[in-house]
Amino acid sequence: MNLSILKNKTSEEIGKHLDIKDRVTLLERLSTLGLPSKKNEAYRYFDVEKLLEKEYKILDNLPMSPKPSNKIEIKDGIVVAAPQGMRVYSEHCDKIDMDHFDPLYYLGHLLSPQTIKIELDGDVEVEIEHTFTQSDTLIHYRIVLYNQANRHATVYENFVHETIENTLVLYGYDMHIAQDSTLRVVKMQSMQHSGYSMIASHTINVAQNANALLKTFDIGSDQALQLFKITLDTHAHVDAGHLLYLNANAKRGTVSQIVHTGEYASSTQEAKNILDAQSRGIFDALIKVENTAKYTKAAQNSQAILLHDGAYMIAKPQLEIYIDELEASHGATIGQLDKQQLFYLESRGISHVEAKKILVIAFANTLIEQVKDSRQQERIKIAFEKAFYAGYSENSSLS
Amino acid sequence: MSSIMKIENLQAKIGDKEILKGLNLELEPGKVHAIMGPNGAGKSTLSKAIVGHYDVDVTDGNIIYKNQIINDIAPEKRALEGIFLSFQHPVEIPGVNNAYFLRTALNAKRKHEGKEELDAAAFLRLMKEYLTLLDMKSDMISRSLNVGFSGGEKKRNEILQMMLLEPEVIILDEIDSGLDIDALRAVSEGINKMKDGKRSFLVITHYSRILDYIKPDYIHVLKEGKIIKTAGPELVAQLEEHGYDGIEEE
Repeated sequence: MNLSILKNKTSEEIGKHLDIKDRVTLLERLSTLGLPSKKNEAYRYFDVEKLLEKEYKILDNLPMSPKPSNKIEIKDGIVVAAPQGMRVYSEHCDKIDMDHFDPLYYLGHLLSPQTIKIELDGDVEVEIEHTFTQSDTLIHYRIVLYNQANRHATVYENFVHETIENTLVLYGYDMHIAQDSTLRVVKMQSMQHSGYSMIASHTINVAQNANALLKTFDIGSDQALQLFKITLDTHAHVDAGHLLYLNANAKRGTVSQIVHTGEYASSTQEAKNILDAQSRGIFDALIKVENTAKYTKAAQNSQAILLHDGAYMIAKPQLEIYIDELEASHGATIGQLDKQQLFYLESRGISHVEAKKILVIAFANTLIEQVKDSRQQERIKIAFEKAFYAGYSENSSLS
Repeated sequence: MSSIMKIENLQAKIGDKEILKGLNLELEPGKVHAIMGPNGAGKSTLSKAIVGHYDVDVTDGNIIYKNQIINDIAPEKRALEGIFLSFQHPVEIPGVNNAYFLRTALNAKRKHEGKEELDAAAFLRLMKEYLTLLDMKSDMISRSLNVGFSGGEKKRNEILQMMLLEPEVIILDEIDSGLDIDALRAVSEGINKMKDGKRSFLVITHYSRILDYIKPDYIHVLKEGKIIKTAGPELVAQLEEHGYDGIEEE
């Protein structure tokens, strides 16, 4: 399949190409938004067209009975293992966000009518591991995730891959965070010439008095974009943190919309970006406060450190406000490592590379240390160091 | 006696400004050399030039350490070979744990010397000993490097690093600035314990107060980018009485 064939097509034409006769509203949304290109605001800084123009194999996403495991294992879009007793099953998605800004959110739903539904019962901690094994393939799947009211659940999301090339992964969550609950999501994706690109398009609904803690750690090279739309009801709260450490020719980042719809909701979003070599980081984030969202508190900040002249950061924190009664702030800084700090470490016999690593990790640590589970925290630190040294061996800028 | 460090006709600038204008200096092993001079004479530039600071551009002359010209040697290599600068204003580094920094620096040195790296337990035992010696609070090594440290704590932390790394040439740039009497005494005791008859000290100072605690063997007067006079400790009294204007170039 070549997805670029869907470019500038009517909903009927898209339906015909995808062999979908019903789901008219989704087809219309995709047709209205149009297949992403440089002209699409969400994809302006990401070379999406090249990815969509490639010819991909499509896999038959036939659900199978998962084996017992201590984590949810999703292989090429199919659940192959799950913890016993956990409700993980295949189901048609009945709640699709019809106001999402991302056309690929709708394409994802059209391609994957059967979604992976995960119901988190109680105060559970679960790891979701995504594995990709197929080359030249469009791996597409969607996950619908529910937690229980008054409960505190945690999801750790990790990604592994076999030796593959030219694969595009199109996936995403529809998360429904129940009233008075907390859902903590920690995503760690380390890619280093991994052979796949990824577009992850999520929608997250945070119900009344609920808390969403979303921490993403994107490390290494390659191309990947995560797009979030987060909707906050009354007294809901989201705390989002994004760490980006890129090397080589990576193009990765976050495009997000946090929409305050209910009163007294609050949001904080912090991005820390460290870019080396010829990499490009993206933080294109909008906080939108609807006229129903009195007494909103919203804060958004992006900090970037460029380690190389060829590195480039696109930081676009934005506020769109339709009400007066609120507190809101946003900002972005881009700089380099502090020369004085670097010299101080070197003057004690610490090599230039190690000194850089120490300072880079110090910058990242405020986000990494927010991961409470020490095993997961260690995993992020190890991935971070591995990517740092991989970048060093590929790129003389660090020497 | 042969020198451990010899500086010959050193000319250096910061930006476009020429600061050092043909400076000559020899450091003898086991001796304490004090450099005194008015503001803007080039005292800090000299210390920066010796450790290879990025601000300083050496335009002529040589810095010779253990019979090797080190003008083009990287700062970390100079440190590993035994040159240590205690900074006048130690930089704060948020997010870098002091203990982690100290252990990394110590192990870099040990590795350079072909010794085994120190494990966490052995390192902590060593730290305990030095913290007591320098009258430092134990929480100082668990905090971020120099962050929120008082002036005295920063200087103690510099001396702690010096003791840990056991350098052979120790440059103390305004080590007494911002110290109260107790801190000055503790820092001086730490420095005096490092005297082993082999190490050289280069004490850069405006005031003679520190020299009451660290007894110098030589006083060098640095003025307008050159050493204009070298004498014994008796020169301090003359400087106190007449100031730098009263000193004629030899």
